[in-house]
Amino acid sequence: MKVSLNELQSVCRKAFLGMGFSEGHADDAAAMVAWMQSHGLDGLKALNDGLECVMASSTEGRPQMIYEDADLAVVDGRELSVLASGNLAMELAYTKARVRGLSVIKIRHCRQRQLIMGYLARLADRGMNVTAFWRHAQSPLTEQVVGFRARSNVPSIRVYQLEEQPEEDVPNDGITIVMANHVDLLPTVRSDDEYALLARLDESDLLAVHQQSLVEGISVDPDGWQQLKTLASQTLVEASEQSRAGAGPAD
Amino acid sequence: MTANALPLAELAPSLRPASTVMELERLGSFSPTRLSFARRLTRLMSDQGWRVSRSRFDLDDEGHGEAIYRLDTPAGHYHIVVFSQHLEDAQRTDRVIAEAWDVTFGLVEGEVDEALMSSLAANVPLQEAGRQHPRLLVISRANKSVRNFQAFVAALASGEQPNVAYLRESGYLYRTTAVYGNGKFGIADYDRLRQGADFQHPFSAQMAAIYVLREFSVEQVEHMARCREPQQMVPLAAPIRRYLGIGNSTGLGMAPFLINHPQLISQWVLARERALALAVSQSPDEASRTRLLALCRRALAYLSETAIEDATQTARNQVAREELQQIDAWLEQLPLEDNSWAQLSEWALTHLSLETQELVNTLLIELYPAQVDALDDAMSVYEKLDLSPDMPLVQLKQIIETHFDWAIQEDYSDHEARYWFWYQSAEKEEPRLGVRGQEAGEEKELSLAVGPRVQRVYEALCAALEAGPRSRTIDLLMAHPEHMSIVRRIQTMANTEYGEIRANLWHRDMKPMHLLRAKLSFLGAHRFDPRGDRWVRVAFFQGAPMLSDFASAEASKEAFDDWSFPLAPEAPEQASSAA
Repeated sequence: MKVSLNELQSVCRKAFLGMGFSEGHADDAAAMVAWMQSHGLDGLKALNDGLECVMASSTEGRPQMIYEDADLAVVDGRELSVLASGNLAMELAYTKARVRGLSVIKIRHCRQRQLIMGYLARLADRGMNVTAFWRHAQSPLTEQVVGFRARSNVPSIRVYQLEEQPEEDVPNDGITIVMANHVDLLPTVRSDDEYALLARLDESDLLAVHQQSLVEGISVDPDGWQQLKTLASQTLVEASEQSRAGAGPAD
Repeated sequence: MTANALPLAELAPSLRPASTVMELERLGSFSPTRLSFARRLTRLMSDQGWRVSRSRFDLDDEGHGEAIYRLDTPAGHYHIVVFSQHLEDAQRTDRVIAEAWDVTFGLVEGEVDEALMSSLAANVPLQEAGRQHPRLLVISRANKSVRNFQAFVAALASGEQPNVAYLRESGYLYRTTAVYGNGKFGIADYDRLRQGADFQHPFSAQMAAIYVLREFSVEQVEHMARCREPQQMVPLAAPIRRYLGIGNSTGLGMAPFLINHPQLISQWVLARERALALAVSQSPDEASRTRLLALCRRALAYLSETAIEDATQTARNQVAREELQQIDAWLEQLPLEDNSWAQLSEWALTHLSLETQELVNTLLIELYPAQVDALDDAMSVYEKLDLSPDMPLVQLKQIIETHFDWAIQEDYSDHEARYWFWYQSAEKEEPRLGVRGQEAGEEKELSLAVGPRVQRVYEALCAALEAGPRSRTIDLLMAHPEHMSIVRRIQTMANTEYGEIRANLWHRDMKPMHLLRAKLSFLGAHRFDPRGDRWVRVAFFQGAPMLSDFASAEASKEAFDDWSFPLAPEAPEQASSAA
């Protein structure tokens, strides 16, 4: 079925409120999912696939700091969704980059990492250059790099597969984000490395998908949509004679 | 340099302060101005030569069936598709919880082929319960004013014009009960409209759809009269056509819009206040004095012949009538000076009711179309509430104390100050007001009341500043993430000229009707007729030119742009002269 972008964002927002997210976090999580979906990046699938994790994350809006100095921060994602506190972690990095010119933030042990792109788009729109990097915990090893140019709310995305498996024992469940106030940080994959480029999405590709979403509506899975509507309905108050008194004239 | 040549920015010192303008009761006294969206639409249609033609009119003798109107603008073409059906009297209700209506209609971008028409026919009549097509820009529905409808058909069928007295009481044949835009139920997002040339302006697509429904309402009654008595039937006389508007019945559902779109509302108010500042700064001459007198007398006559039910609004209108007569005398006797309009505005502020103050302002704005109409394009804004996480907390504190003093000074622990709560009913997901402690749903309260949220973050902020005087906004939010939304709003709105509506929406004395009237005035609704404290009837486009007027070589632009405060036509001559 097709829905509009406004409808998608509105239903998501209510669903997040229904799950127990605070007002601001519900706004941001909904905007993240809707941004992903309207740019063809399967935000709803990511949400619905990890719905249990999101629901468990709903009241965990405060990032847990492991390390922080003027330029760097390391946050423990506690195996929760980035929808829960990713927005604040990103605002922290944004603040440091504004003050110091460049910042790096690492969120360890977090889930649904793709969705963070929806918030990075917002920071880029506010004038920040942003690059996010993460490895997928799979074999063979793949890496994803997402780069936003300041004042553009669509990124360039590269996903590539490494030929050689590095010898290390660190779990690939974190995100590293670099923000720079003044210089571009767009991903450019070096041609002399050994890798296989699995996906390449440029700004123009994503803009075209977004435009298509506005013209044709956004396709959603009816079951997943219904699931969100059910969650959203938890914000509604059952109708009564008193509530009907505000529904216009008595007949 | 004359005042009317000044760039708008230089008029900033003469703008009224936010503390005056953004008081809810004042906003609830606004009248439509020439910047209102209905007025803007008819100007635009004239300036750009928009053309509307009927491309389908398949109605049976009872007026039921389908009609399609094609709208051509210089930039695009659209269709307004109308579905008219039989409705049992018992089903006809203005309540938003209704499930069937006399007519449903939609504004579609581009061509309507049979496949799309089938999809529209299957879904538009269902309104909220349908899955609407993404090329629909607006969907709406309307019910008949049954008495007017029957009287009009009967009169025209018998070769007579209908009694105008009917229109003095309601002013329309159809009354809409909701007009949906911006992505509702699958229709096109406003973001899409913003990309086009024709409907970037807020609510312009909705206004266009309503305008064409008005045309349909006339053609439908004429069609039914013709079916009933083809030989005797006469068409509706032009003055009565023009006096017909489209009604609207609206309730609390409209209220959250004003709170959820603070940047847009601030922008609308700014445009209106700039128009007022422009008008007041002009040096009056005899022609403008004569014009203002004529406008005052028309407004007075309009108030005198407008019959409304609500006792409070009737009393307000009565006071306005008396005060307009004082203004009339003042204008007659006053020796004109360069600042006479400023004197008038100032005198109104100190001596007259809010209703009349804002009515006078509307009339002053009406005097200077050449200067004011350029502000049409200043009614839009790209809405985006942004956080400034690096803002020092001490600066955020200063912003709150400067721009939100009205919010932090209230005692929200007082029973009266926390009387109401807002919630969303499961029935059509409409907003409602409940009494705290008495009605169910408090635990699911909507956070529409901005004031208490500002006060809560202010208290947390003061404590954080004591602990760390050099803290930034991000430090507060890392400790109190629950304040993210309101901090973002405070920081954004502090950069707007007019900021927030200054009202405690929990307070027992808060009148939601003021919220409705504020928005309706910007839309361009006349005949403000509250029914109880939570819903209201109004009329759009009453007095506006009909489509035939646009094509008429006789009508000057000024003549058909000047349709505020519409007056009932004289009783028309009968059949012989009406055709």
